[in-house]
Amino acid sequence: MIDISKLLDEIKASPYREIVISTPHTGVVTFGDLKVGDTVMGPQGQWKEKPGTRLATLERERNPKPILAPEKGEICLIHSELEGQFVEAGTPLMILRHMLTRAEVEHAILKKALHLFCAPERAKYYFIPEVEKKIRASDAHSVQVRDGMELLIMSRMKREVPLNYSGPDGVIYAIYFTINENMDAGAPLLGVCPQDQLPAIQDVIMRVQTEWTERG
Amino acid sequence: MSTLQDLYKLPLNQHKVLVANRGEIAIRIMRACAKLGLPFCAIYTAEDAASGHVRHAREHGGEKSLYRVSSYHDANELMAVADVAECTAVHPGYGFFAEDFRFARRVTKRDRKMIFIGPSWKIIRELGDKINTKRLARSLGVPTVPGSDRPIYDEVEAERIARSVFEFQEQQGIKRPLVLVKASAGGGGMGIEEVYDIDMFRSVYRRIRNYALRQFKDEGVLIEQRITDFNHLEVQIVSDRSGQHPVHFGTRNCSIQSTGLQKRIEVAPGFAPHNISYSFNAEKVLVDIVHYSLTMARKVGYDNVGTWEWIVTRNGDPFLMEVNTRIQVENGVSARISTVNNEGGVDLIAEQIRTGLGQPLGYGQEAIAFDGVGIEYRLIAEDPDNRFTPWVGRIERFSWQDQPWLTMLTHVPTDEPYEIPTEFDPNLALAIVWGKDLDEAKARGREFLDGLVLEGHNAAGDSLKSNVNFLRANTERILRF
Repeated sequence: MIDISKLLDEIKASPYREIVISTPHTGVVTFGDLKVGDTVMGPQGQWKEKPGTRLATLERERNPKPILAPEKGEICLIHSELEGQFVEAGTPLMILRHMLTRAEVEHAILKKALHLFCAPERAKYYFIPEVEKKIRASDAHSVQVRDGMELLIMSRMKREVPLNYSGPDGVIYAIYFTINENMDAGAPLLGVCPQDQLPAIQDVIMRVQTEWTERG
Repeated sequence: MSTLQDLYKLPLNQHKVLVANRGEIAIRIMRACAKLGLPFCAIYTAEDAASGHVRHAREHGGEKSLYRVSSYHDANELMAVADVAECTAVHPGYGFFAEDFRFARRVTKRDRKMIFIGPSWKIIRELGDKINTKRLARSLGVPTVPGSDRPIYDEVEAERIARSVFEFQEQQGIKRPLVLVKASAGGGGMGIEEVYDIDMFRSVYRRIRNYALRQFKDEGVLIEQRITDFNHLEVQIVSDRSGQHPVHFGTRNCSIQSTGLQKRIEVAPGFAPHNISYSFNAEKVLVDIVHYSLTMARKVGYDNVGTWEWIVTRNGDPFLMEVNTRIQVENGVSARISTVNNEGGVDLIAEQIRTGLGQPLGYGQEAIAFDGVGIEYRLIAEDPDNRFTPWVGRIERFSWQDQPWLTMLTHVPTDEPYEIPTEFDPNLALAIVWGKDLDEAKARGREFLDGLVLEGHNAAGDSLKSNVNFLRANTERILRF
């Protein structure tokens, strides 16, 4: 089993992550009256139903699209020279310094504790229809996986091939891929927890919940 | 605000073309624009930053000639870039929006109108629908393949049609009847499977339906007789905006395909009755399919380039398969054997742009002549021994011997390594070889393939797999039925 205390200490030493805010598509960009040093909020509310702070607006084909803060953080750079300009897709607009939340720490530690089933190749991944149905009906924890079981569909260059799971038997504890997005070779797709280790994993979660205090 | 008619009246050099595509075809469109003295604007995505089309645009484009977009599939991106770059027309290339009538309609109907370089959106809508095309063909006495005449969404109905197509073939005395199940919204050989037993039908149907839903967001499926023993022929049509005087640039034979039914070798003309003996009157078949294609083009007032695709059975019966309302990958092989008013160097993409922007074609069928045989090889990183699985990795060496009879079209740089992007089809290059007759063209084809250098490695250190041996082995059977 992993040493949780050590991991937590490591994370505590540098509890930040820099988030680069880039344009999702082309358009004319306008910034609000934010300045360097301001604190912005990510989506809030019980269901994250309240959107984050508006960082900028990107207008394309007469549709203004708000660019919202994905997480809480402090602005450390604004490319204000782009104000009013037409920009290409993927143009950096801002950098936020974000302090890790409890959920993120949990996520980071789980990634070390679970058995990771990784992408064999750069491709898009989907669950096979039966599994997809099950996940939609309840949740991923309800899906038992066995070594050699047909679990995913790998789609590359419009060609689809089935992908069998390999690794210890268990339940799917975390899903790391997004549908319709390319995953690099070696990127984790699923975190699987063997049945007998479930209590240990619950324990990890407990530790993080109690030991990690959110700040800022 | 200018109307579409005003745009058609603009002199050629006042236009600017948005090249709404990537890779090899984007380069060919940019070259055709340059030939016509037209400025252009190209686009690319993050994955394509190393593609030759980006470099070509940087080196040969003027002001506002290259923009990075989020996706080639996002029409808003294309429109936004076209406005900023002050384009007056959009060339869709092939794939992406080439056969999307909604896109073509939007380009021509929005506030700042532009010309869609392709047939008018109504014609794309009419002929882009395979089923509608089939109905139109039947009404004009043009032969079509037996099967469903609309997309099927209902499993029970699908099974009933499959059953009737099986029965029909048994009555015809066909020993191994086959039914083809394909995604109605698909194309390019993707989302097609064969069924040889009605008991298998349901599972194949479900698989194709799910595939179609994921890839095309439409679960409509077509069910047709699968004709196994056939040649795949095409007729190249060109027409100007009047839609009155379509001409043809001959026929092509695209029968040499991968197991996934994707074309690998295309040959113009479609048969060689003077060199090879056929069990049917090949000359008459070619004349017939050209005649049928032109009849349909005239009927709909076809007003740009297009391809009529045909199946020819061993008995010499042609069946219309579909109409591609766009420029095709293999247009160059027809251009290579064509002359207009005794002049070679025909460029069908330039003709498409010129007529698309409103110029009259300026010549009739009598001005077009054909000389020799053209062979087009599609060079692809794939493994023909393993169901043509795409190979992904890095190309390290890519070179060939230049020849007066060889045209190479590629977006892969030859002077630096190139990482094959996984987002698109793994086509690397098109090689068009010309000979005064079939034997010379084949000999030159082999000479080209023998001298080709194509090497690379993937992340695991395995060396590049390509279809060169497949192309070489199949050169012998070119144009043989």
